Amino acid sequence: MGHDAQWHARISRVLSGALRVWGVSGAVTGDPGDADGFVVVPDAGPAMRVRHQAGAGWTVTPRDPVAGAAMPPGRHAGLQGLLRQLREDLAPDAPAGRLVIGAQPLLGRDQSGRRQ
Amino acid sequence: MTPLPVSVITGFLGSGKTTVLSRLLRDPALARTAVIINEFGEVGLDHLLVEASDEEIVLLDSGCVCCKVRGDLVRTAGDLLARRAAGAIGPFERIVIETTGLADPAPILQALMTDPALAGALCLESVITTVDAAAGAATLDAHPESVKQAAVADRIVVTKTDLSDPAVSGLAGRLRILNPTALQLTAVHGAVDANRLFDGALYDPAARGTDVLRWLGDGAVTHGRHDGTVTSFCLRRSAPLRAVTLTLFLQVLAEHCGAGLLRLKGLVNVRESPGRPAVIHGVQHVFHPPAWLDAWPDGDHTTRIVVIAPGLDARWLEALLDALDDEVSGLERNQDV
Repeated sequence: MGHDAQWHARISRVLSGALRVWGVSGAVTGDPGDADGFVVVPDAGPAMRVRHQAGAGWTVTPRDPVAGAAMPPGRHAGLQGLLRQLREDLAPDAPAGRLVIGAQPLLGRDQSGRRQ
Repeated sequence: MTPLPVSVITGFLGSGKTTVLSRLLRDPALARTAVIINEFGEVGLDHLLVEASDEEIVLLDSGCVCCKVRGDLVRTAGDLLARRAAGAIGPFERIVIETTGLADPAPILQALMTDPALAGALCLESVITTVDAAAGAATLDAHPESVKQAAVADRIVVTKTDLSDPAVSGLAGRLRILNPTALQLTAVHGAVDANRLFDGALYDPAARGTDVLRWLGDGAVTHGRHDGTVTSFCLRRSAPLRAVTLTLFLQVLAEHCGAGLLRLKGLVNVRESPGRPAVIHGVQHVFHPPAWLDAWPDGDHTTRIVVIAPGLDARWLEALLDALDDEVSGLERNQDV
């Protein structure tokens, strides 16, 4: 086990909070087969197993793989990619946006601080 | 060129926007103001109610400004600026946009924030929302648009207070919970102090200096509050935030909560920029480029990020920010090895 209880509680809160943001009812539990893993179990749809390895990042696989339907695991260096895959898998209809940085400066200055 | 301030006046149908605007335009403090009025419907009426002498008034009546004429709005503002530069109209010093009562103000703000032709020429000064003292509570209950209008405001003008006292009715408290960063003013028959209404800008073209703490509503948001529909809270961090953490945090918010993120304002202690805090401001998934202050406005150097959003859990955002920072810090450690 590479992470402490605080890390587990934090990641569990991030995952369960994300479910609520996406409008998915379900639960997040620790993975009984992996001390640094989690299982995301939606009320409807397949459960996903989320694993973390220090230095390697996150891996996402179905908890109950369908026989004969080989599915490569999703691998993500960070939480951002992990959350994106979980949303696409568990809540494909949830709205997805992207950060847009506008053109208008906040202070009437450019980014180096010069007055325009 | 000094950017001209732009203010947006919004508020639900019948909340008194036009009355307030009409009174404001008679105030010497608002001389040299150009006004863009949008109306929903085929026949424009509200402009007939606005009495003005030397102000430039442009009517957009092709539909709701937020969903149909966003391009028109940008073009109209651009045209006004071009005519001003050419001397075809008076040298106005401010633009006020009055939205329809049904408008979602967010796309209007985003249009002003993102249009490259207007960048540098205009500066978003403040969002002013009118709320009817008598009917406001029922409107908030029945119309989500009105909740959004109040939630994104820098200034909330409670109108018709001769009919109902907002402090007694509980409306003032409800609005404070809904948007603790907005200054509340009252108006009877549209009369409101223009100087207090238009001093909410982060950027002050009159060079009175930037007042970030006032803009941020610092101190007003101490913990998560909600009125049943919209939550407002302030994330605080005493340790400086890594720039990468901040970027990832905003990216995740924009990706997963974009439409629900009514407003985010922050003063951030960025680790890579000691002594020069960053000011961030976003409406839904659209943000201004971060602005860097020359110094902290006071002795408190903690990061403060105010979030106003329907249904967002403050604890989730806290955990997300910490988890991202933990991840970035782990990558840094690995690189150091």
